[in-house]
Amino acid sequence: MAANFVCRTRDPKNPEQGTADAIFPGAYTERLYKVAQVQYLNLVAAKFVLENVERIFFGVREYNEGGWCYTARPEQWHIRADVVVPFPPDKVFAVYLNPLMYVYECRAEFAADDDATCPINWRDRYRGLIWKRTS
Amino acid sequence: MEAHFLEGILGNRPSFSPEPWYNPYGDCLVCQTANEAVVADRVDEVLTIYRSGIDNRPIGFQVKGISALIRTFGLDGLSVQSESEAGEITSVSVYALLLAAYERGPRTVRRRQAYTCALESGPFRDRIERRDLQPA
Repeated sequence: MAANFVCRTRDPKNPEQGTADAIFPGAYTERLYKVAQVQYLNLVAAKFVLENVERIFFGVREYNEGGWCYTARPEQWHIRADVVVPFPPDKVFAVYLNPLMYVYECRAEFAADDDATCPINWRDRYRGLIWKRTS
Repeated sequence: MEAHFLEGILGNRPSFSPEPWYNPYGDCLVCQTANEAVVADRVDEVLTIYRSGIDNRPIGFQVKGISALIRTFGLDGLSVQSESEAGEITSVSVYALLLAAYERGPRTVRRRQAYTCALESGPFRDRIERRDLQPA
């Protein structure tokens, strides 16, 4: 199995001052590498989100306690394996982490009308917004 | 183009296959049927439809909370199209998992349409190995 990749990001428990390690599990990235080529290529966008996060949400799953959603808007992304385009203005890129800070889902979502760095219906989907970039 | 940050770990020849797989870190079943960017269209607490980042058509789905589905329905409850070996279930139908997920929520037109959308987003391999459904 492939090795884990560690990415430094804001600590969701102390987002103003702390940093934490987000882990791309080797089993996850290897699976994307084997069966989901474009999603694998867009892990670059996911890494950008973790390193330049705009919003952090908590309480992301009904059946699994805890977990975080980090969002931001990368400059570009792959829409096909050989096609890179600017990231669309009506979307936001979300990276989901479990309570142990393991990345388990990286994807674009439709952006909220009232805040383009939040996924649509974010007030209903998550238990709360715990941090937003202000500068 | 800049090298992928995982190239040193995994190589530089990623590939695509429309096979469903279980993500143990998210306890979810993932199926993507086209090699294109994905935009998530969340339907309910369990189902998310994957839409193409190119033309918005459905190209797959994600079913969350697989462990909870198995706890609720049991493997026998998902055994309509499951294979068994010496009385032990060795694979589970992806269709059965989707139908079980549908049963967890209200019977609305939107949900029915979305679950139909997921079922029709194929072709994809319709079974997943029981041994692969182990959370991290």
